[in-house]
Amino acid sequence: MSATNKSIQEKTNELAKMVSWFDSDEFELEAALDKFKQAEKLAFEIEKDLTSLKNEIKIVKKKFSSGE
Amino acid sequence: MEKSTPQPIFSVSDFIAVVNQTFEYAYPTVEVEGEVSSFKINQEKFVFFDIKDKSGSIGCFMTVWQLRVPIEDGMKVIVTASPKLTQWGKFSLTVKAVRPSGEGSLKKSFEILKAKLESEGLFALDRKRQLPRFPERVAVISSTQAAGYADFIKILNDRWGGINVEVAQVQVQGAGAPDQIIKAIEYFNQLEPIPEVMVIIRGGGSADDLSAFNDEPLVRAIAGSRVPTLVGVGHETDESLADLAADVRAATPSNAAQILVPDRNEIIRSVNSQVGLLLPRINSLIDQQKQSVDSILQSVIEKIEIAFDDKKTVVLNLKNILAQLDPNRVLARGYALLRGKMNVGSMIEIETYKVILEAEVKNVSNK
Repeated sequence: MSATNKSIQEKTNELAKMVSWFDSDEFELEAALDKFKQAEKLAFEIEKDLTSLKNEIKIVKKKFSSGE
Repeated sequence: MEKSTPQPIFSVSDFIAVVNQTFEYAYPTVEVEGEVSSFKINQEKFVFFDIKDKSGSIGCFMTVWQLRVPIEDGMKVIVTASPKLTQWGKFSLTVKAVRPSGEGSLKKSFEILKAKLESEGLFALDRKRQLPRFPERVAVISSTQAAGYADFIKILNDRWGGINVEVAQVQVQGAGAPDQIIKAIEYFNQLEPIPEVMVIIRGGGSADDLSAFNDEPLVRAIAGSRVPTLVGVGHETDESLADLAADVRAATPSNAAQILVPDRNEIIRSVNSQVGLLLPRINSLIDQQKQSVDSILQSVIEKIEIAFDDKKTVVLNLKNILAQLDPNRVLARGYALLRGKMNVGSMIEIETYKVILEAEVKNVSNK
């Protein structure tokens, strides 16, 4: 779960980088369509990951009352 | 006559011991409410004060380490204590815990401790740490029976996923609550690796219910935690010292969940919106490039047209010059063209605009 969650952060960072490429000096019209397709695929993956992830909730067994 | 049972004769010490045994049996622990007077601390270790009401007064004794909230003369308190008869025959209460009672005393105690901890820098803004944007390991300290905990978990699950949440089940009100919360803080702080965030939550309640979160050792434990802390206690209008010592303060348990994790639906909307704007942007860039090419092409065409016009003008001028040199134009104006030798008796040819004549030279003279 954690690994997948971390990859969401990586994926959102990667997407942000791709989007900023369109406004950068490195922008080339010839490469734009390919970049767009990659960004679209990444957005789809992020949505899929976010929708499917569940939290794992565990109650600690240790007791915290006095003397324990 | 019936013989009466002889009354036991105690030594003083035995009698004191018997009285104390009776107290222990009848009132092992009592809670007594009254107003503090003659409060003093001896040798920085022992605390003495009286609690009184309109018609009575009892002496109280405790150690300074048991005094977890500031008290002073005139403050209304509830003491949790054991009654005792001292070896000098003085009745007193051996106090295990003391807490302010009533709104005025709670507020007064709160303000005294707040000022003290503030002066030590426990609430300073430069001590506050940022929480991770996408936490993966979260510790929660709360009562799992409380409504505030249920709200927190519901909102957490609605907003985000993939988190390992470890929950320490503790009391969140009453005399035992601060120590239980401190133990839970210590537990999470000794884990390796430590959780990324520690969330301490409790729903709304009376000022007395929430007073556990104004306990001095608890506030110090929160301020000293290695794990960054997020505290959400009570309602929006409630302020506790635990809130002030936390790295991040949430108004309520629900608000703590909102602060802890981003909303997955907002992220999805944002991601789709970012990508959705790219295609129109590409089209706009294509249009810009097209306009630029059109503009260059138009400029080239204009230059060719200008060059063509220039050449056309040159040709026209040459044509005019050429036309001026045409002999027929001279003949048309009445001149004639002579061919042949200009000697007397020679035959010459005279060409006019319309005819050609043959003639004999009769005379030649200089002009």
